[in-house]
Amino acid sequence: MRRLLVVPALVCSLALAACAVPHQRDDVTLDKSAARRAEVTDVFERYREVRNSAIELLDPKPLSTVETDAVLAIDTGSFEVSQRLAKTQKGDTAAVEVTDVETPRFKKYPLWFFAVVRDGALGVNRVQVFERSSSVAPWLLTASPEALAETTIPGIRRKDGAALTVAPDDGVGMSMSPQEAASAYAAVLADPEAPESAAFAQDSFIKQMRGAAATNGGLEDVKFTQEWEAQDVRYALRTADGGALAFVTLLRQDTYTVADGLTVTWPEGSPQQAFLSEGISGSGKLSYLHQVLLHLPGGKGKPRALGQYGGVVSGENGSATPAR
Amino acid sequence: MRATWVGWALSVLGVLAAIAGVAVMVVLGPDSRLTTGPHAIETDDIAVVTAPEVIRWADVQIDVLAEVPVRKPIFVGLGNAVDVQDFVGKAQRLEVTEFKRPWELGTRDVEGTANLPGAPTALDWWIDSSAGLGGASISTRLPDQTVSLAILSVGSSNLSGLEVTVAYGVKGGFAKGLALLLLGLGLVWLGLLVVRGLRAGDGDDLEEEVVYVYIDEDGVEHEISAEEAARLDVVEEVELEDADALVVGGPTPVQAEPEPTEPVPTVPQFRVPGVLTAAEIAAEPDPLPVPDTEPAATDEAVVYVYVDEDGVEHEVSADELAEFEIVDEEDKP
Repeated sequence: MRRLLVVPALVCSLALAACAVPHQRDDVTLDKSAARRAEVTDVFERYREVRNSAIELLDPKPLSTVETDAVLAIDTGSFEVSQRLAKTQKGDTAAVEVTDVETPRFKKYPLWFFAVVRDGALGVNRVQVFERSSSVAPWLLTASPEALAETTIPGIRRKDGAALTVAPDDGVGMSMSPQEAASAYAAVLADPEAPESAAFAQDSFIKQMRGAAATNGGLEDVKFTQEWEAQDVRYALRTADGGALAFVTLLRQDTYTVADGLTVTWPEGSPQQAFLSEGISGSGKLSYLHQVLLHLPGGKGKPRALGQYGGVVSGENGSATPAR
Repeated sequence: MRATWVGWALSVLGVLAAIAGVAVMVVLGPDSRLTTGPHAIETDDIAVVTAPEVIRWADVQIDVLAEVPVRKPIFVGLGNAVDVQDFVGKAQRLEVTEFKRPWELGTRDVEGTANLPGAPTALDWWIDSSAGLGGASISTRLPDQTVSLAILSVGSSNLSGLEVTVAYGVKGGFAKGLALLLLGLGLVWLGLLVVRGLRAGDGDDLEEEVVYVYIDEDGVEHEISAEEAARLDVVEEVELEDADALVVGGPTPVQAEPEPTEPVPTVPQFRVPGVLTAAEIAAEPDPLPVPDTEPAATDEAVVYVYVDEDGVEHEVSADELAEFEIVDEEDKP
């Protein structure tokens, strides 16, 4: 008798589960997942296709259809260096290995998603952000800091399957907000003695930048100054530890004031030499953009950089004469 | 008793399901949808868009046909409200703020630019869309997300003369209603089976029934009432295989066990010597099978017969035998 009851109950349950029953929705708030998985795959395939075309042509112009902002500026600078030095760039022919995709939900545009792409050949993980600024705009790469393959990228906290974002000015549960961290990090880079120094871990990026600045500052009869400025933070994700993973874009300006009769030059084949082929006589300035992946741990932990992507974006020889 | 309750519950559930199935079939009809229109919408804007809070249903099949005169290009699309509102946000449009079935609209004019930011046909985020000259239509199921329906002019035209026909229902709704009806009928049948099965099943749930039987001297059973049985005296109590039997004077009430066994005959109040009573017969063990051998020796029964002068035989007892002379004696075979 019991079996006689179980079978029809099972059939009814399956039949009801298979039917999509019309129902009224209580929640009609604006809300959308940034992208579906298939859409993400299409975005990556299109990006690789366009990037390889640009590399083949040694022309950065096609990149403007798949990149924007700091990434486009850095890559354009890289292409210009290659053009001036008549060097070819390596095509991206390796299989794309997207190891993680996090798609937050948004109430309005812009939409963006986060992805980790492993580059086995270089031994790095590219932590990328693609953004769609409006409903008629394409998906563009806006951030792509690189971390060493052995660097652990913090897990992203999710809710209902969607990654949680952090407002740039939201410092709850952390030592500071992402925007405060960006500004303080720039201050620490500009001045090792800055009061914010105690709030940051002395990561490899800080050490590398200070080393380069010390080398440039050691040139005889050359006055070298370095300035750092943080741009507005646009992307930050909540990490599983209650902290945040912030994408910080920093503008770095190296100014050289050279004594009369002297010229500062760079080695053949270097990006600086591509922008300032004549060197600097009198005064000159090189501008760099650095995208830094900054981890703000939950609680009182000190923020530290996990990766960066940057390069020369412009050079000026003389007080007002741009070199490019 | 609990299973009986389940049976009736299944039956009631089945009736409700069957009624629901019939209702679905009647309401939706064979084409599984309700159609309204065409309805004219007075506007000369470039877009007619529903506000995010207007479409509150999910998993409803909708068909929208938008028509404009003189083969003007037109576009119909359903998209997530985040996308649609961003797309038309700066355009001059007629926004539908309220919709009641079968067709009652609340609208408001929104000022904006005279052009859309791009061609709607070039966008990839529409859930469903269609474009055409003079008319366009979509047929889609409302997803479980906040959506907006947009009717847009394409190119330099506008939506003057717009007429809209809307149908909504459940895809395959008539068939689903029929299936629900059959399912309901099946449940009713199943429920009745459960109830009937229990009544015919084991007697755990049945009340004990006492049957009083009087067996006369000829071994014929007569059912009597409890009152009649009470008037009789118990003369003997016989231990039976499956039931205790009380032998009463004359008719005997039998305390019947729940197991449906044959009523056991009772003995009469007087006995004939040498004749077994019904109770004694019933109490006897089953006869053993007779072996296929020589029969066992038994006590020989001697019959004394007196033959009168007419040759008629009369059986006499051993006591009467002394009055007669034995003239013949032969062995029984």
